[in-house]
Amino acid sequence: MAHRLLRDAQADGWERSDFPIICESCLGDNPYLRMTKADYDKECKICTRPFTVFRWRPGRDARYKKTEICQTCCKLKNVCQVCLLDLEYGLPVQVRDTALSINSNDAIPKSDVNREYFAEEHDRRARAGIDYESSFGKARPNDTILKLQRTTPYYQRNRAHVCSFYVRGECTRGSECPYRHEMPQTGELSQQNIKDRYYGINDPVAMKLLAKAGEMPSLVPPDDESIKTLYVGGLDARITEQDLRDQFYAYGEIESIRMVLQRACAFVAYTTREGAEKAAEELSNKLVVKGLRLKLMWGKPQTLKPEGEGGDDEAARQGLVAHGGMLPRALVSQQQSSQQPLPPGTEEHSQQQQPAMPYFNIPVPPPPQRTFYPSMDPQRMGAIVSSGEASDSKGGSEKPGQLRGPDGLGHSSYPLPPPPPHGQYQNYYPQYGYPTPPPPMHYQHQYPPYQSMPGPPPQPPPAARQYQHQGAAPSSTPQT
Amino acid sequence: MPKVKTSRVKFPEGWELIEPTFRELEAKMREAENDPHDGKRKCEALWPIFKIAHQKSRYVYDLYFRRKEISKELYEFCLDQGYADRNLIAKWKKSGYERLCCLRCMQPRDHNFQTTCVCRVPKHLREEQVIECVHCGCRGCASGD
Repeated sequence: MAHRLLRDAQADGWERSDFPIICESCLGDNPYLRMTKADYDKECKICTRPFTVFRWRPGRDARYKKTEICQTCCKLKNVCQVCLLDLEYGLPVQVRDTALSINSNDAIPKSDVNREYFAEEHDRRARAGIDYESSFGKARPNDTILKLQRTTPYYQRNRAHVCSFYVRGECTRGSECPYRHEMPQTGELSQQNIKDRYYGINDPVAMKLLAKAGEMPSLVPPDDESIKTLYVGGLDARITEQDLRDQFYAYGEIESIRMVLQRACAFVAYTTREGAEKAAEELSNKLVVKGLRLKLMWGKPQTLKPEGEGGDDEAARQGLVAHGGMLPRALVSQQQSSQQPLPPGTEEHSQQQQPAMPYFNIPVPPPPQRTFYPSMDPQRMGAIVSSGEASDSKGGSEKPGQLRGPDGLGHSSYPLPPPPPHGQYQNYYPQYGYPTPPPPMHYQHQYPPYQSMPGPPPQPPPAARQYQHQGAAPSSTPQT
Repeated sequence: MPKVKTSRVKFPEGWELIEPTFRELEAKMREAENDPHDGKRKCEALWPIFKIAHQKSRYVYDLYFRRKEISKELYEFCLDQGYADRNLIAKWKKSGYERLCCLRCMQPRDHNFQTTCVCRVPKHLREEQVIECVHCGCRGCASGD
């Protein structure tokens, strides 16, 4: 080893990098992150060559994470440097390779001598401009991958490790212990190791996932032949009717698409039973729109509601209830949509539609919660922003319970509709004060639901804040 | 050959009143020094030493600056004889550092991101509620807590 220390690190092919190659889960949910970088700090756990190690803490409940394999090894397999899961799909190498039926393995030697030589050779080629001949990212994801891949980051993976002292029953640290006081999971999944994960052999997680993909239930068409409607659940404000239409039109003629924003679901009615069946078969378990995994189920026949309830919207759906049982449901839904020609997205629309929608009792998914970190607060270290904002967020910081709400800082004065209409990220972070004078009509234009509010809409100071709120969306890159 | 003087230390007035406390703390310190460190973490070994040293300095500081019960002469004597840490007391006199646990915890150069120790962070700004800092085992010494 001594001869190595004397030589030039660069000539030896030791890796020096400025940023790690990591997946979103490993990066954590806090957008403000501090990382340390140590050149040639550890040896890569695959090729045993020294590489640049990055270390950071991906969030409040997370342990410190560091890069485990070098960038050469990670690029060879297109995996995250930390968790060794595929960068694109978040799946283990074995699952990806089996699903795409590629074999990324045969080229990588496993013996000591050859392994290092291979990695160096690969580096040299990469530097010379002959890039990877790999097909990662070019192959279309197939059904198995679509069924298994995660669409949102999985932060559970960043939790602290189980306290080994606790397992032996002799942890003396009590509540100060930063490790988890839980019993470890036993069974097949406890037998994982990094090399098997990387090379994609004997990976218990992969076995489990592949088995799961094999036995995922397909949708059984209901016996009632008149049902031609599919239920789509787990919607978000990002998804528009057009997105759904794009997904569903290929399987048959669509009669109508009805979005129920309050329940975060939609109903897609086909004109023919065949179309609905085909769509259910093709799209079940793998309907992913805009990075959101949607739930697909068959619609159920509408049950009649008793007449006595529902006060103000009674008139609106009276005609409906009268012959709701006689008409085919498709026709009813058509009537319904024609009765309410309000623009989609307004409050009244979804309020009126909601009671006419008795057939699904699927609970509303909770509004997306983002944790609030003290480090997200720009004024935490005493920085003074504009006066109105500073006082507002100071008042907020005394009540940390309110702060954690999805609306971000101190917006208690005006309630947002449950799914934030746009700029879903900008809502969660405290805004930096750039006191630009707001054009008020812009604000009026963007928030139609205020018309239904009892009091007059908050004037200049709050309007200024909300405008910043929106104006931040396009210009967020220079700010942060 | 001149006679070798053995005890040149002149004890100022009032020393006999505070001496028992110092003897007691010194006994405690000796015990902590001889304590076996089996089963302790590496960083934990020095925590009791820091704690007793802090206690001694605090005693002198309280007597002179808070309760004003000892003379300046005696105070200087304690500092000179090493019964209290002069530098630590100097920090306690500054606002914001009234409860400082040890000098290392406020030294930004000793930390990764040029910050102070986690025990210097006020409780309401901290993400973890229960901590023990790695330098001296402090559970929080921000002046507002």
